[in-house]
Amino acid sequence: MKISPVWAVLLMVASAALLALGPLVLPPFYVRVGQLMLYSAGLAVAWTILGGFAGYASFGHSAFIGVGAFAAGLVEARFSGVAPPLLLLLGLAVGGLCCAVLSAAIAYPILRLRGTFFAIAMLGVSHVCAELNNNVDFFEGSLGLNFPAVAPKNLEPATFFYWLYLLAGLVVLLIAWQIRRSRFGAGLLSIREDEDTARMLGVPTERYKRLAFVISAVLTGQLGVIYAHSLGYITTDSVYRDDTNLSLIVYSLLGGMGTLFGPVIGAFMLVFITQVILGRLLDFHLFATGLLLVVLVLAAPGGVLGLVRTFLLRRRPAAAPAE
Amino acid sequence: MNLIAQTLADGLVLGGIYALAAVGFSLIFGVLHVINLSHGILVLLGAYLALIFSQALGIDPLLTLPLVMAVLFAVGYVYQRFLIQHAVDRSQLGSMLLTFGVALMLQNIMIWVFSPDMKNITPSWAFTSFHLGAVNFDAVRVSALFASLVLLCCLALLLKFSPLGRVIRATAQQTMAARLCGVNVRHVYALTFAVSAAFAGAAGIVIGIILPFSPADEATWTLNAFVVVVLGGVGSPAGALLGGLLLGMVSTLTAQYIGPSFPNVTMFLLLVILLLVRPTGLLGNAFSASR
Amino acid sequence: MSPAPILRVDRLSKNFRGLAAIADVSFAIEPGSITSIIGPNGAGKSTLFNLVTGYLPPSAGEIQFQGRPITGMATNRIAELGIARAFQIARPFRDLSVFDNVRIGALFGKSGNRDVAATTARGMELAAIAHLADQPASTLTVGQLRHLEVARAIATRADLLLADEPCAGLNPTETAAMIEVLRRIRGNGVTVVLVEHDMPSVMEVSDRLLVLDAGRLIADGSPHAVAANPQVIAAYLGTPDAV
Repeated sequence: MKISPVWAVLLMVASAALLALGPLVLPPFYVRVGQLMLYSAGLAVAWTILGGFAGYASFGHSAFIGVGAFAAGLVEARFSGVAPPLLLLLGLAVGGLCCAVLSAAIAYPILRLRGTFFAIAMLGVSHVCAELNNNVDFFEGSLGLNFPAVAPKNLEPATFFYWLYLLAGLVVLLIAWQIRRSRFGAGLLSIREDEDTARMLGVPTERYKRLAFVISAVLTGQLGVIYAHSLGYITTDSVYRDDTNLSLIVYSLLGGMGTLFGPVIGAFMLVFITQVILGRLLDFHLFATGLLLVVLVLAAPGGVLGLVRTFLLRRRPAAAPAE
Repeated sequence: MNLIAQTLADGLVLGGIYALAAVGFSLIFGVLHVINLSHGILVLLGAYLALIFSQALGIDPLLTLPLVMAVLFAVGYVYQRFLIQHAVDRSQLGSMLLTFGVALMLQNIMIWVFSPDMKNITPSWAFTSFHLGAVNFDAVRVSALFASLVLLCCLALLLKFSPLGRVIRATAQQTMAARLCGVNVRHVYALTFAVSAAFAGAAGIVIGIILPFSPADEATWTLNAFVVVVLGGVGSPAGALLGGLLLGMVSTLTAQYIGPSFPNVTMFLLLVILLLVRPTGLLGNAFSASR
Repeated sequence: MSPAPILRVDRLSKNFRGLAAIADVSFAIEPGSITSIIGPNGAGKSTLFNLVTGYLPPSAGEIQFQGRPITGMATNRIAELGIARAFQIARPFRDLSVFDNVRIGALFGKSGNRDVAATTARGMELAAIAHLADQPASTLTVGQLRHLEVARAIATRADLLLADEPCAGLNPTETAAMIEVLRRIRGNGVTVVLVEHDMPSVMEVSDRLLVLDAGRLIADGSPHAVAANPQVIAAYLGTPDAV
């Protein structure tokens, strides 16, 4: 499904403007849901740069949320005199840097694994980071870390963070979009389809995979920094979470694995389902997510966008018979 | 000197249990090439069933073993034949996610039915212990280890000498050829899964008599099984035993000498390193003969 | 004076645990020619391609492309230098359209200036699949997939195309179409080396034949000279003594 770039940009701008109105018209509960939707959408797109585009599905991306958040928090705590907006920028810079270093360091060995081995190895990485964070005093994971309030004084924090998530989400989406349209993106898609053949065609597969991995990690970390600030206080369990690890995959699976907007749709849908529809029925969450996974795998492996595409193809007249 | 002997002994005992808890997972991975993320929940199902049966029938939990294994055999067969089979052909990621989804659903059901609280099935003779030289063993752990080793031997014998075992191995090595020889591959896959589930349930009982358990533990047991397979090898009880023993000793040694909260870190580091160096485990893939 | 060879293979050997798949093979390929490598099954033809494209490292010997040593170089580097391969068992990017498949070749492949749109179009045209551009690769027939393999390889702007049994499993009409494509490619300045079993096509299209048997080069020359070579006949048909 190809939309011309001009239309795509107009659509994105219009959606962004519409979404920006959210905090001004919605009740507080829905503003918080909106925050979660935008945050999840951003994470989903960041994940999909590696998972959907290149086909390297990571089961442990919450590692980068955690690393970004804690790196930012630990540094910001030492510069408490600085003005809040600068602190946030500092946190973002440090969080991004740490995620870049970590991902670059493990990229060489871990990207040699394929498929499920890569997925589980990343889960392992996520758990190792979580355990170290919790057990080593320096990280203050078990005690918890406080974050300075960075919202401007005459603005509701909820509104501020809503708009911050919107902005961050748009940045992530734009980066992913640019990647998708570039030679780099075409290379990533070919890696997903058939890595060995791609290599034989001259695609620098190792370099591209590492680059996608680092970009994905840094963007995820940035969102983690914002998330930590919006919470105000985090412990290990706030950011290193297995349900986040799983959700990141489900967003792309639900919306359409491998597409650009699929993760956004998937994130919006899943957050809406769990927070709004099932909101009161906390006991039902695990069951519903599980059931969704089962149904998706069996009935709709292409996700929502896959279903749309199938529906559209059925309505088109059959292609001319091959010679 | 005493301390290290005790730590190693504890590690061995724990390792035997890890091995039993992982062998079913290993079998499915080796034969069906499916990573069964609902393995842990089947283990827990075994423990909870033992709880129900031992209370209802008034017998020792270990004696419920045959009944629990029979129930889980049936559950496993149906689960594979009518659900997982459909995802097997798509992709490994698909079957992983499917089994993960089922695990979440079953976990939620268990929380509803049994409550999220810890339970145990510790029998009345649990608090006796005895010494072997300088090393202390307690009766429960030893009987758990004993049961694990017996069950692992049974499985090894089954795979090696029984007709079912031969068919399973043949199907694992060359699926298409097996089909052409008249093997009903779906049925064999379902039987393999059934056997795996039965052993998972047995492991659950063995674990349940030593440790308290709750529905939230399921992820731990699945991940443990994965680590055991990566360490020891895919598809064989021998591989599971080797991996289990290694994991058990690494766990106890880490807990004793580095710190009680570090065994998981060590386990995961070991996992990542092994995945890089030798993903099919130290004993390799038991079914890779013809590949 | 004949031009410098585009591909030179010198005393190339490959052993797999004591089995010599390729033993002491040497030859040189002239630019702009079509050379066919023939031989009984198991003679080592695919192994030879694997060695030249960097998929396997040789046990001994040297490979030179356009005068430059490429022995043991990484596969994507070799592609960047200008060697492409079309596989016998086609490996299309299934979820992408024919156009997108060929475009990957145009985007990557040989390093240098790229006119992606033009190269993609030319690749599809030379391989006669321009009419299939929007179809998903997963819907193509075997014959069409072979053409796609070749189109993608051409799109990499390769100077040397290694085609692995492009006519295997094709009916006579499809075979003739494939041979025509290979001729067209050669007309565009690409050197073609193919492995083939279809003797009539091989005899008709090749400038030169190389015959491999049990890893050794047993004949090297014009098609008619090679066909009359008693060693070659013995390799394919056996001697009167052997039953």
